[in-house]
Amino acid sequence: MTRAAHRALAAVLVSASAVTAAGADEAPLTAVQTEGMRAFHAHCDYCHLEGGTGSIMLGRRLGPGKALLEARKDLDAAYVRASVRSGTRSMPALTRVEVTDAELAAIAEYLARAPAPLSGSR
Amino acid sequence: MKLVLPSTVSAQAFDQALNRFAGIVGSEWVLATDQDRDTYLDAYALGDGSDHVAAAAVAPQTVDEVQAIVRIANELKIPLWPTARGKNLGYGAAAPRLSGTVVLDLGRMNRILEVDPKFAYCVVEPGVGFFDLYNHLRDEKIALWMSVPGNAWGSVVGNALERGIGYTPYGDNTSKICGMEVVLPTAELVRTGMGAMAATRSWQHYAYGFGPGWDQMFVQSNLGIVTKMGLWLMPEPEATLRVRVNLPQPEDIRWAIDALARLRLDNVIENNMVFGNYLHDAAVLSQRDEWYQGEGAIPDSVSARIMERYGIGWWSFMITLYGQQDVVDARARIVRRAIEPQLKQTLKFDAWRRGDPIEQSGAGIPSVLPLQIVNWRGGRGGHIGFSPVMPPDGRLALEQFHRMQARFEEYGHDYYTSFTMGQRHISNVNIIVYDRDNKAMTDSARALFKALIADSARAGYGEYRTHLDFMDDVAHSFDFNHHMLMRLNETVKDALDPNGILAPGKNGIWPRAFRGIGA
Repeated sequence: MTRAAHRALAAVLVSASAVTAAGADEAPLTAVQTEGMRAFHAHCDYCHLEGGTGSIMLGRRLGPGKALLEARKDLDAAYVRASVRSGTRSMPALTRVEVTDAELAAIAEYLARAPAPLSGSR
Repeated sequence: MKLVLPSTVSAQAFDQALNRFAGIVGSEWVLATDQDRDTYLDAYALGDGSDHVAAAAVAPQTVDEVQAIVRIANELKIPLWPTARGKNLGYGAAAPRLSGTVVLDLGRMNRILEVDPKFAYCVVEPGVGFFDLYNHLRDEKIALWMSVPGNAWGSVVGNALERGIGYTPYGDNTSKICGMEVVLPTAELVRTGMGAMAATRSWQHYAYGFGPGWDQMFVQSNLGIVTKMGLWLMPEPEATLRVRVNLPQPEDIRWAIDALARLRLDNVIENNMVFGNYLHDAAVLSQRDEWYQGEGAIPDSVSARIMERYGIGWWSFMITLYGQQDVVDARARIVRRAIEPQLKQTLKFDAWRRGDPIEQSGAGIPSVLPLQIVNWRGGRGGHIGFSPVMPPDGRLALEQFHRMQARFEEYGHDYYTSFTMGQRHISNVNIIVYDRDNKAMTDSARALFKALIADSARAGYGEYRTHLDFMDDVAHSFDFNHHMLMRLNETVKDALDPNGILAPGKNGIWPRAFRGIGA
């Protein structure tokens, strides 16, 4: 993807996120979480969008409500980091060349982001 | 994983190498923790993957850095295992053949250096993935199509170098290589084809150059590190027509392969076709325990239920026709004449014309959905592929099908196969799926694989590509004149790589330094 396209995509994603984040149950993303969202879409989209092979596997194992990582409210940052570096079930581990430690930390923060107080427990 | 070094490498030399590698690429790109070693294990290994453990990884970003690393490796006798994106899943992924080898991870060399829309080619570095190139073509509105393999997570260059395939008329990916830049095992840089002329203007226009052509020497080999590759892309056609065909009976393979082979030979059908059994669909759409919880291969009664549920045949295949509208219409008439009388059905093609949604076309669109099959048995799933090459003959295909199916059933595995049709050959891809944590299952998968190698060799069929675990076995099956090909490979290996530092054991080729101790 060209840099211009990256920027355009990032803008769309941030905008889409802002819509979500402005909803009833989510706080706006922090800078780290925004970077995590970018990195998630750069490195995890292959399998973890709707209809992706990872989403299908998660749905089968944990139920359809837990298929989409971005929609989950029960993910812990340390668990995300460990899953990526160790692999989990049929998901291969990702190296620090493919996803750097800084990117992974941001992805983990993004996926483990806390809901707004009104949404109750996650 | 704890550090394990080959017997030829001292801990002192290894530490010295890592320090000097860090001086080249920066310490953040020398990866040598226990966790780093884990990330380079084969994610789909038959078991824990501890037979193929990297000692470390080093990740250069430039050709100069690659050369500098190779010079240090020669000086200190450190074996290196190049990998592009490490997604050679089913064949060992990024893991080295010889434990203690340092992975040369080329994932950071990920530039798309050139795309020529007029003459339909690209020049890419090894870290460029299929998704990267696809997105680039789409974003830049370049009307060129890619040939994409079933699992498209990996590298364009890596796939072509492993003789991977896609499913468009450009699907024989290795044959579309046109010019490479290669770091030799002694660190010199060479360009192949017309690129050997410094001022060339035709590197990606003509593959052969002048004198001997060396490109194939760097394919499935350990004789060089490819740092740039020219690859021809397919001009977007005006139209495609597609139809999926289901065949109800196992024995239908005989007439269908004969009919399709003729259409492939005549180039009426121009692309590699996957002629697969019902498990292709079932293993993506479901898991085994939804159908059957018993031991052994799934019985015929269960197979029948699967086919009925999904409305599929015992075999199915997709015919795709490419070209100008008049051409594809003419091709469709020829296909109908060849298929319909025996199929006893009318083929109903889905039409795509330029400008329609690309998903409806016969274009190669990257996806990793086929990886779903590793979840067929549940648990920590993995798969391995046994893929002998055979003539595209209906009688031979029927015999091969019966022979392979019997072996799968004997070893208690579900028979997953495709007879993927090239122009003059079939790659008979048989996939064994297992739960990596079930030792009985992985043991039987390994035993099955060895039996399949022997069976196919007796029938006169050798594998086109294989997993790390079986490279020596498959290489050994190429046995004409007392394995003269291997002796030639070893002679070339020793001449080009006197210190034996590049990918020892790759495709069964061991350098002198490791011969007899590596395997």
